[in-house]
Amino acid sequence: MSRIIVIGLFILVAVLLGVVAWFARREESKIPSLGEVAGFVMQYEVGRVPVGRVAVLGFWWWAGWHFFAR
Amino acid sequence: MEQPPPITAVRVWDRPWVVVPVFVLIAAVGGLFDSFTSSANLLVLGVGGVMMWLGLTGRAGRRPVPRALPRSTLWWLVPLLLLALVELFTFTMHSYENYPTLSLLADPLLESYAARSATYFLWLLGFWGLIRR
Repeated sequence: MSRIIVIGLFILVAVLLGVVAWFARREESKIPSLGEVAGFVMQYEVGRVPVGRVAVLGFWWWAGWHFFAR
Repeated sequence: MEQPPPITAVRVWDRPWVVVPVFVLIAAVGGLFDSFTSSANLLVLGVGGVMMWLGLTGRAGRRPVPRALPRSTLWWLVPLLLLALVELFTFTMHSYENYPTLSLLADPLLESYAARSATYFLWLLGFWGLIRR
């Protein structure tokens, strides 16, 4: 039973991501796209170190390694 | 930090008709390798390393980025926080059968070559989208 609930929650996450993405793509939408949010986060720097960029790109790299190689 | 070139200053290789076939080729090869193999690790680490280098040096053109985000950005936190919470909960439960994590659920789906290659391609596209931000 718990397995079904967990799978249901992951499906809910996917549906919610799709809904927010859909609203963000509408004309005159006040919700930025996920790409714009990522771009904004990646601007964050500490001194000359692009912390936000390293974090976001590093997370995506790790996700690929986790799903395809680990 | 060195400023990246503007999006208008695209290099010859920084175009969809170059990038997409390269990604298709990498994904086609990546789909052949099972998890926990040296080949799979080398490919992901190699390709990811090149992408990181491109993303950090600004060699690929970048799109303009908003200077500030509106409050409506918080809507993104709803699915993202839920995902993080479910992942954290299932991970801490240490029960693969009753509380599977997302990657455990994905493993059987990624066993087929077509699904693995297609997902690999989407991962590369996502990476490309990020380094151009």
